[in-house]
Amino acid sequence: MTTLNDKAIDIFHLVKRFGKFVALDDLSFTVTTGEIFGLLGPNGSGKTTTINIISGLSAPTSGQVHVMGYDLRTHSRKVLQLLGSVPQETALYEELTAWANLDFHAELFGVPLKDKKARIEAMLELVQLSDRKNSPVSTFSGGMKRRLALARALLHDPQLIYLDEPTLGVDVQSRHAIWEYILNLRKQGKTVLITTNYLEEAQALCDRIAILDHGRLAALDTPDHLRQVSGAGVVEIETAQPTQKVENLRRLAGVTSIEQNGNQLKIAIQSDGRVVPQIIGVITQESEILKFTVREPTLDDVFLRLTGTALRD
Amino acid sequence: MDSLSYSLRVIWACAKKDIRTALTERLFTIVGLFVPVTVLILMSLFAISGGKAPTAVVMLDQGPYAQAFYQSMDHAHSFILEQTSTTEAARQLSAGEIVAVVTIPADFDSGLRQNQPVSINVAINNLNTDFTNDIRRAIPLSITSFYASSFPNLVNITTHEVDAYPQDTDYIPYLAVSILVIALMIGGLLQSGPASAKEWESHTIKELLLSPASRWAITTGKMLGSILIGLGSAIVVVIVLIFIVGIQPAHWLELIGYTLLCLIIFNSIGVLFGTLIKQRMPVIALSMGTALPLFFISGAFGPISFQTPIIQWMAPLSPAYYLIVLFQHSFHNFYLNTLSMGANTLILIVFALVIIGLETLALNRSVLSH
Repeated sequence: MTTLNDKAIDIFHLVKRFGKFVALDDLSFTVTTGEIFGLLGPNGSGKTTTINIISGLSAPTSGQVHVMGYDLRTHSRKVLQLLGSVPQETALYEELTAWANLDFHAELFGVPLKDKKARIEAMLELVQLSDRKNSPVSTFSGGMKRRLALARALLHDPQLIYLDEPTLGVDVQSRHAIWEYILNLRKQGKTVLITTNYLEEAQALCDRIAILDHGRLAALDTPDHLRQVSGAGVVEIETAQPTQKVENLRRLAGVTSIEQNGNQLKIAIQSDGRVVPQIIGVITQESEILKFTVREPTLDDVFLRLTGTALRD
Repeated sequence: MDSLSYSLRVIWACAKKDIRTALTERLFTIVGLFVPVTVLILMSLFAISGGKAPTAVVMLDQGPYAQAFYQSMDHAHSFILEQTSTTEAARQLSAGEIVAVVTIPADFDSGLRQNQPVSINVAINNLNTDFTNDIRRAIPLSITSFYASSFPNLVNITTHEVDAYPQDTDYIPYLAVSILVIALMIGGLLQSGPASAKEWESHTIKELLLSPASRWAITTGKMLGSILIGLGSAIVVVIVLIFIVGIQPAHWLELIGYTLLCLIIFNSIGVLFGTLIKQRMPVIALSMGTALPLFFISGAFGPISFQTPIIQWMAPLSPAYYLIVLFQHSFHNFYLNTLSMGANTLILIVFALVIIGLETLALNRSVLSH
């Protein structure tokens, strides 16, 4: 059971309107201290608005937000002190060196002067950029910039770290390195809030995932539970001609949902898969099966079912 | 941490960061440094060229009266004179190189000695009435001056001049001080405005807005950075004024103080523009579009009390007006308005505080693009 002290972020009936447009519609959820929490949703779902409100960059129309027990309306500066952010654009000063960027951040966040040098060195060491500390950031690759932005976010020892698309545009090697750093943060007892468009990233990192759609909470659970709710498996079939028997298939016991795209069928099924022979029987009455696959559901399937769109659309 | 010492750290860090960033963009910094000097030189050249009309004098008589008349024209402060031949003068006039040709006839001296009427031929290129009227005013003035010096018994009216100030101030030294203000104004706006807008263009504003530092400390730091860069410009401009234009400040401490105040005000306005507009090119356009009208309504070319009522009404709304008053005092030791030095300074300090307040408010209300 979650207690008050366990709540890193507590969002309660949050509403944000921009004129007549409702960006957040009575949103409530809690992020527990020490967990990696993923915030997912298609474009315009309210992710950025939620993050901006948590960061104090935008004021809610109504509702309450507490971060680490502090009411954001009255303690926004304290919340910013506890928050480390890695924005999608990294927000690094490209003309300055890695060291100068971290030094500036240390001053902005009031890192004690006696600790500053050691903290900067430790962070550069952590993200393996010590040998490039005097290089201008403009000479860094995308992955190096992400790592430096992460080092900067951790410099003032925040309790809550927010990462916006932490591996967007980085190569596979850097992606796994960044995942490793993020997982280590959890071991240190930090709370991590991630927004990502990579569902495999959410699957690999997140303890829990919230899916937003049209400013509302469409789902909130662990990745495994979300996948289970979506069904025990997914049957993908390619037929010679588009089948006309979709309604027949939908009536079969054990079929959760069906998507048809031309001669492609994606059928979510429940339980142990005993419905599979029946599916084959229905389809072969009118068409030849060219390709047949049974697999476990992915978060993409969950996301598609909940929001009606693929995440990267 | 102690709030004041933390804020001071933030101010210095923001200033240092902006200076470092500016220095990495060397071309921009060099341009920014020399823009005020360029403005000073260009406007001085404009003033110099606009003050006197290039005029050819054809001396068909070289007698003493003809020479004296030429000297009277030379002392009229309206001509750039050149003696030349009839043919060359006609060529220069038709080529548009001069405004007028004044021909002193061969019978000039003899006619005057015999008390006969003498006709001076004046050919004018009248495509610009400003110059044309200068010639039309200055020739009769030269005739009067000539009679006053060569035939004093014929001129019975004399003037007795009482000066308000012990020394005359020429137009160029007067205008050069006003131009110093516009140079610092443009330099300040162009240093701080684009630097602030760049934070938004490159999204580094997030680093500032996501920090717990107070907004006033951030804006003050940004202002300080551009002021320190602007000081470099100011020093270059003052050196040009002293060693090239040839005017010496009467009050050095005032000059230093008002230069700082000028930089604070216009760098603050620049930071405000950058924070509100968030894009460098529109900020540069707005800075130029703001500086020039402010300059023209602020008594740059003469005391505002000599101007039209509408300009007299608008001028006190502009900080440039008070700055020109104070800078003229620091260089020439005279006041252009009826307010005391303290009152002029106080008004400027209020301007500065209001603009800094607006900057802080603008940054407080800023949210990231959605």
